[in-house]
Amino acid sequence: MSAPRPWNLVAELTWRCPLRCPYCSNPTRFDLGKDELDAAAWARAFSEARALGAVHLGLTGGEPTLRRDLAEIVRAGAEADLHVHLVTAGVPLSADGLAELARAGLGSVQLSVQDAEAAASDRIAGAPVFAKKLAFAAAVRELGLPLTLNVVLHRHNLARVGALVALARELGARRLELANVQYHGWALRNRASLLPTREQLREAAAVLERERARAPGLELVFVLADYFAERPKPCMGGWGRKTAVVSPDGHVLPCHGAAELPLEFWSLRERSLRACWEDAPGMNAYRGESWMREPCRSCPERARDFGGCRCQAFALVGDAAATDPACSLAPRHAELAAARDAESAPAGDAFEWRSFR
Amino acid sequence: MTREAFEARLRGILAERYHDRHPFNLRMHAGSLEPEEIRCWVRNRYYYQTRIPIKDGIILAKSEDPAFRRQWIRRIRDHDGEADREGGLELWLRLAEAVGLDASEVASLRDVLPGVRRACDAYVRFVTSRDLLESVASSLTELAAGGLMAERIACFERHYPWVKTDGLRYFESRTRQAPRDAAEGLLYVLDHAVGDEEQERCAAALTRKCEILWQLLDGVEWGGRPLRLAAGARLRDDAEGPLVVLAERAVQLNETGRTILALVDGERSPCAVAAALRARHPEPPEVERETYAFLEEMERLGVVEAAR
Repeated sequence: MSAPRPWNLVAELTWRCPLRCPYCSNPTRFDLGKDELDAAAWARAFSEARALGAVHLGLTGGEPTLRRDLAEIVRAGAEADLHVHLVTAGVPLSADGLAELARAGLGSVQLSVQDAEAAASDRIAGAPVFAKKLAFAAAVRELGLPLTLNVVLHRHNLARVGALVALARELGARRLELANVQYHGWALRNRASLLPTREQLREAAAVLERERARAPGLELVFVLADYFAERPKPCMGGWGRKTAVVSPDGHVLPCHGAAELPLEFWSLRERSLRACWEDAPGMNAYRGESWMREPCRSCPERARDFGGCRCQAFALVGDAAATDPACSLAPRHAELAAARDAESAPAGDAFEWRSFR
Repeated sequence: MTREAFEARLRGILAERYHDRHPFNLRMHAGSLEPEEIRCWVRNRYYYQTRIPIKDGIILAKSEDPAFRRQWIRRIRDHDGEADREGGLELWLRLAEAVGLDASEVASLRDVLPGVRRACDAYVRFVTSRDLLESVASSLTELAAGGLMAERIACFERHYPWVKTDGLRYFESRTRQAPRDAAEGLLYVLDHAVGDEEQERCAAALTRKCEILWQLLDGVEWGGRPLRLAAGARLRDDAEGPLVVLAERAVQLNETGRTILALVDGERSPCAVAAALRARHPEPPEVERETYAFLEEMERLGVVEAAR
């Protein structure tokens, strides 16, 4: 296996967000992220990341465009010779604000929508923002920036993947990511209101198969729901292997969810990015394969899926070193399957909405 | 469906889907193709020519009827000739020379574009996997070929006078052969597709064949379209080797990949890139094939895009 290298630095600039999506992947413990790094600290992190081999910088959150110093942060990323990618809900940034980011060196944009039409999208977002999102997409294309449209899929919108592909074409997106909910953070709390049926997933996959055949110019990415798969996802391409996620308060993590694990991660406030990435006990906890137990340890697929998701193992089994229960070979898979079968439904919800705005 | 209605349905499919309506063919007949585009088409279409006697051999082997085989085997003779340096394949190589290509290089098939190869191979696979009736139905694009050939001769004489008229003998031969072949094929299909289900399968086979011919020209167009590095993509030197960085993706290249991408400048087409590499490396037979495969993959990954 190649040596760990943070090809991609994911900077969670803030966990504040004007939206309230009930499947947000942010931790449910927002107290962890209130004390946000300033632009100068981010700039130091970006040049350190470049020295460690990063080529991509993802600016995300929460909603990164809530940061008033975002243009300064974008400029610092571009000056560090990183491809700067903005992951946004498209609000509250104006077209002028976006143009300023483009001048500062922004390379590409990922915009989220929650559904293919206004009422349903706004309902999940918890705010009347769909029309603003469409205007934002137009502004991205006018600036000539590559646009990715991202939609989280669940029982309430799976029936509209065809309309979502049409929307992506209409907006001039180069890539459409249709990602089934991963049940972490808020999504795990709302699992019983989100889990689709197997039939819904099968129909959506069939629609996408047809669309893919006639979609030159639009890259279609369909991220399967691991609850319905036989094997776990190669989460983050391996723990601490390719991506460094930095939380709003400067903690360097292997993924968005790891802040909630009982591990010691280090912060950019106290140490260099290199030290946080290479030496923090938490970063090394699940690198490589020596931490694995059976059935992973002798599994021929361990080099492909890296043992799956540690956060899912912790959330469902209470032990981050356990085999990801999404794997059908996992000792505790039956519990996940039972929860899936009990909670999967084509409709109905009782959401606990994301808070922390 | 009555015999007449069925024939009208088949002709309707051709009126709607035959490749005479493909943008590349329209440009050819409007006289707006550059000599390099004509050469690209001639070189690539030769691969299709080489598949014809092979698929006709497959069709032949499906029949239990000596009379049918006696008739159909003439198509193979037409293409392969009765002796060396005769027949339709040979005439196509004369066309290749007339447009300024090296016949032996065209015959080597080493510079066939991948989309063209896929389309032609799909035709052979189709005929292999279907029954005799559908296979014969798929050949009925010939109903439209005779007219197209006559038009093409006039178009070449008028718009591309630099092509020696001797090279047009293939088209002349087809103006005679195609209507005869098509009439025989049509008669067979009308006689044997008597039920709705069989007629439906024949219509679908002809539609599929129209798609294949269309895809062949798509493949030719791809070869001639200038490419550029995609907006926002940057080629950089990395400790682990050359690397292209673009939105949501980084693609590691080997030295060959870097050499090929360095030739992608917004002016060169895939064919021009391959030709530039061929000029540097006259020997290895796989230069074109590897260049095209690499550029297709880079286009799929969003690293390169059409420049206009």
